[in-house]
Amino acid sequence: MTSLPAPIVSVDELSVAYRSGGREVPVVHEVSLAVSPGRTLALVGESGSGKSTVAATLLGHLRHGSRITGGRVAVDGRDVFALSARELRRLRGGTVAMVAQNAGHALTPSMRIGRQIAEAGGEVPVTELLEQVRLPRPRELARRYPHELSGGQQQRVAIAMAIAARPKVLVLDEPTTGLDVITQRGVLDLIGALREELGLAAVLVSHDLGVVAHMADEVCVMHAGRVVEAAPTRRLFTAPAAPYTRRLLSSVPRVTDAGLALVGEDGTREIRPRAEVPADAAEAVSVRHVTIDYGTASRAVDGVSFSVRRGEVLALVGESGSGKSTIAWALAGLRVPSGGRMRAVAGGLRGGAAGGSAGGSAGAVAGGSSDGSSGGASGGPSADLSGAASDRSAGLSPGGSAGAWSGASSGGRSGAPSGASPGGDGDLGVPARRRPLALRRTVQLVFQNADTSLNPRRSVGDAVRRPLRFFGTAGSRGEAASRARQLIADVRLDPDFADRLPAQLSGGQRQRIGIARALAGEPEVLIADEITTGLDVSVQAEVLRLLDDLRRERELACLFISHDLAVVRGIADRVVVLRHGVVVEEGPTDVVFADPGHPYTRELMAAALEPEPGVGAERAAVAVEGWEDAAGPGGVWVELGGGHRVRRWRSADG
Amino acid sequence: MSFLKASAGVAPAAVPPPAPVRPGFAARTWRTVRSSRPAAIGLAIVAVHVVVALLAPLLTPYHPTTGDASHALLGPSADHWAGTDQYGRDVLTRVLYGGRYALGVSVTATVLTIALGAVLGCAAALRGGWLDDLLMRVLDAVLSLPAILVLLVIVTALGTGSSVIVLAIAVVCVPQVVRVVRGAALAVVPQDYVTAARARGESTWAILRREVLPNITDVVCVEFAMRASWVVLLISSLSFLGFGADPPTPDWGLMVSENRTAITVVPMASLAPIIALATMVVGLNLAADGLSKAWGVDRIREGA
Amino acid sequence: MLTFLVRRVVAALGTLLLSSVLVFLAVQALPGDVATQVLGRDATPDAVAALRKQMGLDQPAWERYAEWIKGALHGDFGTSLVTTKPVGGEVAQHLGNSALIAVVTVLFAVTGSLVLGILAGLYRDRWPDHLISTVSLIGMSVPEFVVATVLVLAFSVTVPVLPAVVLYGPGAGVGQLLPAVWLPAASLAIVMAAYIVRMARTSVIDVMASEYVTTARLKGLSTWRVVTRHALPSALLPTLHVIALNVAWLVGGVAVVENVFNYPGIGKLLLTSVQNRDLPVIQAIALISAVVYVVCNLAADIGSMALNPRLRTRGGRIR
Repeated sequence: MTSLPAPIVSVDELSVAYRSGGREVPVVHEVSLAVSPGRTLALVGESGSGKSTVAATLLGHLRHGSRITGGRVAVDGRDVFALSARELRRLRGGTVAMVAQNAGHALTPSMRIGRQIAEAGGEVPVTELLEQVRLPRPRELARRYPHELSGGQQQRVAIAMAIAARPKVLVLDEPTTGLDVITQRGVLDLIGALREELGLAAVLVSHDLGVVAHMADEVCVMHAGRVVEAAPTRRLFTAPAAPYTRRLLSSVPRVTDAGLALVGEDGTREIRPRAEVPADAAEAVSVRHVTIDYGTASRAVDGVSFSVRRGEVLALVGESGSGKSTIAWALAGLRVPSGGRMRAVAGGLRGGAAGGSAGGSAGAVAGGSSDGSSGGASGGPSADLSGAASDRSAGLSPGGSAGAWSGASSGGRSGAPSGASPGGDGDLGVPARRRPLALRRTVQLVFQNADTSLNPRRSVGDAVRRPLRFFGTAGSRGEAASRARQLIADVRLDPDFADRLPAQLSGGQRQRIGIARALAGEPEVLIADEITTGLDVSVQAEVLRLLDDLRRERELACLFISHDLAVVRGIADRVVVLRHGVVVEEGPTDVVFADPGHPYTRELMAAALEPEPGVGAERAAVAVEGWEDAAGPGGVWVELGGGHRVRRWRSADG
Repeated sequence: MSFLKASAGVAPAAVPPPAPVRPGFAARTWRTVRSSRPAAIGLAIVAVHVVVALLAPLLTPYHPTTGDASHALLGPSADHWAGTDQYGRDVLTRVLYGGRYALGVSVTATVLTIALGAVLGCAAALRGGWLDDLLMRVLDAVLSLPAILVLLVIVTALGTGSSVIVLAIAVVCVPQVVRVVRGAALAVVPQDYVTAARARGESTWAILRREVLPNITDVVCVEFAMRASWVVLLISSLSFLGFGADPPTPDWGLMVSENRTAITVVPMASLAPIIALATMVVGLNLAADGLSKAWGVDRIREGA
Repeated sequence: MLTFLVRRVVAALGTLLLSSVLVFLAVQALPGDVATQVLGRDATPDAVAALRKQMGLDQPAWERYAEWIKGALHGDFGTSLVTTKPVGGEVAQHLGNSALIAVVTVLFAVTGSLVLGILAGLYRDRWPDHLISTVSLIGMSVPEFVVATVLVLAFSVTVPVLPAVVLYGPGAGVGQLLPAVWLPAASLAIVMAAYIVRMARTSVIDVMASEYVTTARLKGLSTWRVVTRHALPSALLPTLHVIALNVAWLVGGVAVVENVFNYPGIGKLLLTSVQNRDLPVIQAIALISAVVYVVCNLAADIGSMALNPRLRTRGGRIR
């Protein structure tokens, strides 16, 4: 760093403390860093590492209740915290500008875009700024309000606002977190270009090592308020020195991993080969031509079909609005499809093959037999209906479909040779409350947000005990308590956690409890809806490993819903790519990743950023190709063999 | 500021406290009261009022409704600390006894109001649909009539007995409680733990009891304190207008109205009940404020 | 935008209709036959029957309701049972007098409380906030009649500058009433302002902590600009509805305060009508109160539309 010109930003031994309950809690501890003009420094760390606090001090901003306990921050040669109010205002915007994490919240809702940009100062006309951030029709856009823009557009507006007064330093606080991969890539490319054009120095705060590898010249790794390691980007990623950095880097899933990465204490990385799903594994859940509407106007899911076999992980991949979570909710009985058919198939193999705890298998048998009688009882009358029902189902009338399919499914089941008592065979096209108890038990959902999925007023043990008692998988109160402790241990947590409230657990621990609660029903199908989103990478790696272990142990059919291709690559056996509620490609994970057939899949993959400097850059060349849907009534799919198929498309030039 | 929230959680969050603390509601309230000065002061004031009202016969040698006409309209003295009124009754005695009526009627009315409001509010939030729509329309219609007017009409119709006033207060106050509770419950209903219970197929009642109610007790408690202060004010206004407590009854509102004409002669006869009334309501409001602040209950957002 | 407005207006009319039914039912449900009450307990049954017929009390309830509403729409609220004059004129006269108080109250209470509330919010946890919050807490803890009594003690007894009671009847002119307006208005304004101050303070604090206000600050804008342009439009939104509710509350508050000062307004009229069981007058006043409530809320809705572009522009969602 010595050969570089004098730094424009220099932070020396900065310490920040936060006052809480009459006690000073140090947040940042003796952090030093420097950024030269034209260079980009990345502050990397997991949540709570103090990286955002450091970034905000460059603008002389501290969170309410925080104060500087030592050190100094200088920007353009001036001590930021020694400036008068007037000078500080001139520094903000004029010398240093900030792009906040969530542009949707950072733009004033009651002001037009143009006004907000204009008041940031500077001589550059607003329309020119909007053009500079590659927004179409700037004149019209300037008259819009923030809520009329998409997330990516809002972030571009925030960037335009930041560069309005032509600052020398740009502070980017998680500028693309929460954006879809393709949008993220666009925003990052824009930031990169502007940096060149305007000769900006940049400080990038991010938890995403892919973004950092793509953008930064130098990296500062922070942990618990301290700088753990600082190095030029390439060196840091190829030869990390600190053990923490090594662990962090190893925890990041990569699109090139052929299986789940197991990270050792010392940061070593070992790829565990995927569990073999036997070729004759039974189908556990099947979804055929399912359509789900929101209200009358919008169709969230349009004719989606897939199936998941026992012991298999099927990933549903797509951006926000692709309908992937809607499918999960429909399977869990929280939303009724307007057309198509969803079934859980009886697990005849289950009784003998279940490898769970001793108590677990006993519970499974008990649940199974009790269901056998109820299944038989309901099978009788519905068989009479099945004739009439199939007539209607041919017309695919949305209203009658729920009843029609239940008739059809039980008809289908009675035709099956298996005489073994099913764990829960039946129609998933009806809301949870109308499903038989055994069927509700069979399909269990793990929620995306571990913070809101547990009742804050009830102990963690209570959360796990309730389904045990409710589904009757545990007979007595005492048994439920001991089974709950066992389940908590099964998700690799201390059973004594049972007495804690959710607020006393970390995010990763809460997510494990969410999984334990789902397992309490002895399910055959586990739906994991973005369960690692919002978790730090190291915690994410642990949760993924747990999920992988559990499906091996319990032969769970797992529907894994994610927007993150790298995560999917590690855990899923097969992938279904969704776009706007339509499946565009599906196939075995390795095949789809090696040779994506649909241009949308290719675009997704190109946009994904790897934690390796320079890797993403070349891939960008293959990115955008114009295409349009060519699926007609004649043929929707192009079969590529081995279960790999692609929705028909044709290239659209211009 | 909130874009710094990411760093606000600070690392130690990963390490849960060693001793498993499972605070019950009472324990939590106690800790809140100890840590929040306004709540502590407010509850202390209310407690003093309760104790004084209960012990009134022991605290004063005089009788609240019988006076000595020869000692009418006296200023404060050693015998009569707050003087006497036009009938020669000891003002302080009447103020001390006055708390009984105010507290008794208010507490009963508030309990009834909150219970009714909580049930209706939860039902509306959880069931939604036409029930919710209809309920909210009717309640809005009730709200559109001034509380005093409704009270006056009911009291004229059914008389001024305490039970009538309790009932009338319930009619007037329930709509607002329903709004608040419904707002709070609506914030809980979309949470994932409620969704999880729905996916299990739990009954509405079980969801309400296990998932929703424990998460809105804060709101309901704060609402109780807040509503109680309202009710005390309403009842005293009613008495002041001559439609509440019947004349010999020692009641603060009534006392102000009786002694107002003699305000130039014996100001204490009016001021004493005013002070009693104001401190009680300030106490209730302080408690509501303190608790809502300590528990993070946003009274405005809940629709209060 | 139009759909939002139309929906609100329809909802408001629905509320109004429902309230009128409630008013009618409640008043009709009053025990004791109206005719008996008018004629006194010792009236002969024949006389009572004759009066019942004359008043239309032998008609079914819904017909009487329809009749009443039809009249009310034309400003005809029937005749007073006590004075036998048309209710409409009498109510209008009192309403005008009360409006004098209301205008003064709203003017002072709203402007004053907004300024104080915003100040308290901006100086959160510092002395101006503590002062304003404490005073407003006391303000909302004392009933109107107490404030009125204390004001009388201060400004009519101790320093006699304003009249403690009004000696004029309902027909008094503005000039005669004006000196008597200030004390009632002040009593109402103090109580009303307390609520608005608290609301304004909380919402200012909320908005000042929002990300967009932080962003605006970090853009290097002056505090004045940040507050007026970025924070206030959003902070005023929830306050608007509280103001509307409080203006509607005035109708009730006025009843108590006018009674203290013997002011010949709608509140005084309400009280005498209740005492005399003058049902047509009570009904008319209740209906007018409901109209005031609904109109205030509608005004708040329109106001929030002006402040919130989400409600104005396409795709704006309605809660």
